[in-house]
Amino acid sequence: MEKKTDSREAILARIRRNTQRVYERPDLSALEQAAIHYDDRVEQFRKVMHQMGGRAVLVQPGDDLNELIRQQYPDARRVASALDRVEVCGREQALTCPTFHPDSVACSRDLDGTDLAIVRGSWGVCENGAVWIAADVEQRAVYFIAEALAIVLDRNCLVDNMHEAYRRIDTGAYGFGVFISGPSKTADIEQALVFGAHGAADVTVFLV
Amino acid sequence: MSTKHSVAAGRFLKGDRAVWHDETLWMVRAKRDAMSHSLPEWEQLRDAAAAIKNYSNSHLADLLEEFERNATAAGVHVHWASDAEEFCATVADILEAHGAKHLVKSKSMLAEECGLTPYLEARGIEAAETDLGERILQLMHQRPSHIVLPAIHLRKEEIGDLFRREGMHVDPGNNDQTYLTHAARRDWRHKFLEADAAMTGCNFAVAETGECVVCTNEGNAEMGTSQPKLQITAFGLEKVVPDRRSLGVFTRLLARSATGQPVTTYTAHYRKPRPGGELHFIIVDNGRTDILASPDHVKMLNCLRCGACMNTCPVYRRSGGHSYTYFIPGPVGINLGMLKDPARYSDNVSACSLCHSCQDVCPAKIDLAEQIYKWRQVLDGYGVASAAKKHLSQALEWVIDHPHLFGAAVRNAHLVNSLPHWLMYNRLNEWGKEHDMMHFPHESFSEMWKRGKVMPARTNKENDGEKD
Repeated sequence: MEKKTDSREAILARIRRNTQRVYERPDLSALEQAAIHYDDRVEQFRKVMHQMGGRAVLVQPGDDLNELIRQQYPDARRVASALDRVEVCGREQALTCPTFHPDSVACSRDLDGTDLAIVRGSWGVCENGAVWIAADVEQRAVYFIAEALAIVLDRNCLVDNMHEAYRRIDTGAYGFGVFISGPSKTADIEQALVFGAHGAADVTVFLV
Repeated sequence: MSTKHSVAAGRFLKGDRAVWHDETLWMVRAKRDAMSHSLPEWEQLRDAAAAIKNYSNSHLADLLEEFERNATAAGVHVHWASDAEEFCATVADILEAHGAKHLVKSKSMLAEECGLTPYLEARGIEAAETDLGERILQLMHQRPSHIVLPAIHLRKEEIGDLFRREGMHVDPGNNDQTYLTHAARRDWRHKFLEADAAMTGCNFAVAETGECVVCTNEGNAEMGTSQPKLQITAFGLEKVVPDRRSLGVFTRLLARSATGQPVTTYTAHYRKPRPGGELHFIIVDNGRTDILASPDHVKMLNCLRCGACMNTCPVYRRSGGHSYTYFIPGPVGINLGMLKDPARYSDNVSACSLCHSCQDVCPAKIDLAEQIYKWRQVLDGYGVASAAKKHLSQALEWVIDHPHLFGAAVRNAHLVNSLPHWLMYNRLNEWGKEHDMMHFPHESFSEMWKRGKVMPARTNKENDGEKD
């Protein structure tokens, strides 16, 4: 593997030799302070989720989350989730609608055919509907392979924009995280927008 | 002398797609405008993106070492490749060491640039594209005509016919876009499930965390990298950015500029290998360090590969991506082609009206049109300038150098208007080819000025171009 070391040194030497003008690191604080913000974050998030082709449901105190999920996805048979308890409006609820834990499968491909995955989001971004999901299972395929995705998100964890989001997120123990904004989409055939290219074709964010 | 671009563009314009192509890309441009207008801080964002890129591209060695240190500490294998050959060999070696025969890959301009797929196929490894548009083109044995909308030149009927030829479960005569997309989702799922390895490009490599960030709408990269446990992610060395804080700027600009969406559906961060798996990052030079040495063109390294410059370009929209001789078309491709091999790709330099719209929409504020202008000034040095135009220009220069002659020429120019068509449009008049000659006015500007017919206009406020 001596060749690889050579390339590394050669590339770094070429960079150092060829770099001409050197620029200062910019200060982003003025931009971050001027960045867009919203008076009613919940309302803005619902609006932008709709625009991105998904939906946001504001869970009310006393609502049964299992009931809401079943209403939204009445035909879901194989329901994957690593969550067993969820705090809804300050009160803990048992999550009973999942039928299996995503890490209970022998290998990733066994997750094919999952109708619905219920996952926890950490932060939601009001300018674009992106929800940060830090992997909390070994089989991260569960975030992409299910036909539909239900994301449970604390309504107090909505931030205005990506600057705010990047201050808060991390990739967690599995070293993987992803912003997901609505369903998978493509416009590769004649620029016609189609949901459900490879990832989840339907996304609901339940704001608890 | 016609360029290869102008000949190919002529063919494109005779086809039945030209108007649709122009209008559709303009619609994408309009969506981008709506997005930029929705953010009061849009211009500040572009300034910040350019400033971060100027910083990172002038500190590449330090940032790449920091990236490598952090990625290695997280258990990632980091490789360096000087050129396309070494990059392809590195990928093939990793795959062969694992006995991997089936690779699923997501769209990567770098892999395209380095000819990775044919290289792997020659070594008996299948590299299946997974982006819908890219996969369609792979099955058709065509190359992309746009870096973000690769199959923008195709009709749904051609795609439906392809799917039926490929034996996919698609009804005869049904070419509905939703129907075809869902057929592809169903029929290609097994490619992910049966793959031995997954490969992705990378939008941003973050020095502070040693992670790679990949943006997609389809979820194909994410689906691929969550099935097989072997993942390879490769990037050109200019993709490194200092920290996650910078990503706040870039992720706000990328999709808004590219397709007019607030953000891509997926923005995935890869930091560690999966349990029991391997993650390989490959840092590729392939000519990028040469660009660093060129003060006139170093800003090309700011490029985010969003494609906004193509969508807005009046020449690209009306000539299609396949008219260009470099694999990346449009304003960005004209420049990158010249940096790759000026003698080989100079045909594209004339595919520009110097309207400067590209640099007005570029999220990283690259001076694309000004660089194209600069290339035109040095074409003669590569022996590709048109001899006829050169002689005419020299004659014109002689006339301009002699004020009396010039004055007489301008006063009498309108006589040209009444010359017969055959005398104006022939092989001796380079400017009469492929476009109409101008109609010379009866009164020159200088005559109008002397007679007080021209009022001095109020100077426009200088636009907020970059000052550095």
